[in-house]
Amino acid sequence: MNVPSARELDDAFLSIVRDWSAGGAGCDERRFDELALATFAYQRAHNLAYARYAAALGYADERMPDSWRDVPAVPASAFKDATLATFDILGAELEFHTSGTTAASAGKHYIERAALYDAALLAGFDRFMLPDRPKLRYLNLVPNPRRQPHSSLGYMMGHVSVLRGDGNATYALEDGVVNVATFSRALATACAEGQAVCIAGTAFAFVALLEALEAAGTTFAAPTGSRIMETGGFKGRVRAIEREELYTRLESALGIARRDIVAEYGMTELVSQFYDSPESRGADVRVKVAPPWLRTLVVDERGNALPDGETGFLRHVDLGNRSSVIAVETEDRGYRAPGGGIVLLGRAVDAPARGCSLDAEDLRSLAASALHG
Amino acid sequence: MPKISVPSPRRHFTASSVTGVRRIVSAVADAARRWSDADFPPRVRATRAIRERTGYTEPVVDYALDTLFGALDADAMFATIASELGSLDALETFVARPGRPDVMYRGVENVAIVSSDTTIGVALPALAFALCAGAHAIVKDRSDRLIASFAETLAQERPELGARIEAIEWDGADDAASRSQLAHADTVIAFGGSDALRELRAHLKADALFVPYGHRTSLGYVERESLADAEAAREIARGIARDALLYDGEGCLSLHAAFVERGGHVDPIAFARIVGDAFDEAALEFPAGYESDAGLVTYRRSASFRASQGRGATFAGSMGPHLVAYDAPHHEPPPLVRRTLALYPTGGPEDALAFVRRYGLPLEAVAFGHALPRADLVAFARASGASRIARLGTLQRPPLAGEHGGYGRILPFVRAIYRA
Repeated sequence: MNVPSARELDDAFLSIVRDWSAGGAGCDERRFDELALATFAYQRAHNLAYARYAAALGYADERMPDSWRDVPAVPASAFKDATLATFDILGAELEFHTSGTTAASAGKHYIERAALYDAALLAGFDRFMLPDRPKLRYLNLVPNPRRQPHSSLGYMMGHVSVLRGDGNATYALEDGVVNVATFSRALATACAEGQAVCIAGTAFAFVALLEALEAAGTTFAAPTGSRIMETGGFKGRVRAIEREELYTRLESALGIARRDIVAEYGMTELVSQFYDSPESRGADVRVKVAPPWLRTLVVDERGNALPDGETGFLRHVDLGNRSSVIAVETEDRGYRAPGGGIVLLGRAVDAPARGCSLDAEDLRSLAASALHG
Repeated sequence: MPKISVPSPRRHFTASSVTGVRRIVSAVADAARRWSDADFPPRVRATRAIRERTGYTEPVVDYALDTLFGALDADAMFATIASELGSLDALETFVARPGRPDVMYRGVENVAIVSSDTTIGVALPALAFALCAGAHAIVKDRSDRLIASFAETLAQERPELGARIEAIEWDGADDAASRSQLAHADTVIAFGGSDALRELRAHLKADALFVPYGHRTSLGYVERESLADAEAAREIARGIARDALLYDGEGCLSLHAAFVERGGHVDPIAFARIVGDAFDEAALEFPAGYESDAGLVTYRRSASFRASQGRGATFAGSMGPHLVAYDAPHHEPPPLVRRTLALYPTGGPEDALAFVRRYGLPLEAVAFGHALPRADLVAFARASGASRIARLGTLQRPPLAGEHGGYGRILPFVRAIYRA
């Protein structure tokens, strides 16, 4: 296979984004295959760490993948262990870091061209969060991108706030702590002005906010058209009941109906994002859907694809990841929903731990104490 | 919620008022001896129930019960009491102590032992010593009724001892009956995670003694002298595999990380390969109690990726879900996933100590290749916070006469009375 240039791949990708944004055109199997295989060939030639990994898995010039389903996926943790970039990272237009116990253990996703990232995030956000194209006021319970430029979530909401907002965005998360007073003032002002808002935050941030509001007995009735974008889960330990409870409490405290609460599923290691499908927002089980340039395989422990409905690990193939690695295997589990899309079950968790050993959760709190103590 | 009888304040028993401590020890040891027989009908029933509750395979449950009941040996109990109290007689009369006032020990009235839902019989040694002290013991039992069944055997030996044990189901410290039982206890022995221990502690009476056994892990350290030849390396590797795979690596004595010193006859990477083979052998003896483990899959993928980049190696084994990861990065915590061991090549124990401190690892034990390691290794083990130094391969068989978690065995159940 001839190795395409970065420009060719980027143009092809942006063309898919544009077509989808303009008229909802998808990306059929043949086209997706073609671009995924071309991107893999490009990355194999330009991303040394990925090429080594592919070689260790047996990929070679004479043994290339037949379809996007066969493209080798790196574990998400690989972004901590190697520089996964097809270019000199000194020229990266964006650099996002995963959360890590220490700076050394944080993964880094370098993105060569911000235009690809911006195009992907805006197209998805417009489609799934702003189908009615309102100009909302953004109240962000996410890191301020000026203070934390390496937070992909902060960047995303910063970009959306500037390009889709009313010019009065607020950031109410400081050093990982929700500033309830700042948030409450901003929401009260929006309520007084009748300005619909979009409140974006992680599940953890929302829980902290709710605890503070409920303790103070404060409730709001957010203006009509307001919505919530929730993301991030509960460190992978989310259970359906917890999310349901969270949404019920958000509805009560902020006056935003459950159907207007949308869960976004994104990863620092991916350029593109999933959202709750509009049809499933009133259902018991929410289905995550993606733009056409992002596809997911559900695989078993050995990496074999599973049939629809069977639970396994999620492997994402994101054409937007042209400058890093196209296929990323996650610790998240889920299954393919009957009508398309995936049902996300959260971080891989086995049967409850037995024995008296430390587990990862114990370790997280101990490590945090050791670092801060 | 089962009906629970709440003990009312009762007449104080001493060991001598019920029966002499020697007879209590003998009764406990006799009952334990019956339970050491794998064909003893109550044990057969308990084995089945434990397997259902925990999912461990039969060899693992058999090993656990053999170890548990085999340790409840009269000589070990006598020696422990005599060592901790200075004399067995101190439970019944004043005994002289050089340079200190005469002392005797009074057993506490009420003891509560709250074992976790996830272990096998951890309450039994504590129960045995509580009985020796003359206490009435309430023990949180599990659905396998191991404690209740053992108490029935004990009652056959000594009915008055059986009457001093209440094995109950317990829904946690939230319900009124549990709170009342905790509030009556003079000593509470508790096993569990930090949150559960904090919750229990909050319900105790002000002067109760609380002995917590929180979640911990253990660390291996293979000193260069112990890798003197290939056979010695294989022997140590077999020990490591046993320590890591028993209980599917889920116990506080399970190995998840081991340091291997450079400079031995066998170099660390070669030793890692030997350990990988030993895992395969041990997996035959102690098969996994589960078919898949998401944590292991995730860790395996990460380790394989690192290996592809020329950093470390993995020995996945062919006999089941287990993994030995060689030269895992120090900036990542140890893999606290089942049947998984990270081996770290090292120049000396300072690396291991820095690792323990970086992650604030609460250690139960540190195990070495030799039973009597070098002085600098003992210093490392002391600084690590571990309460036990062991030889690799013996971690999962802690002697009854050792101080579990650094605490005495009978001391928590007695109070000293000195004469001066």
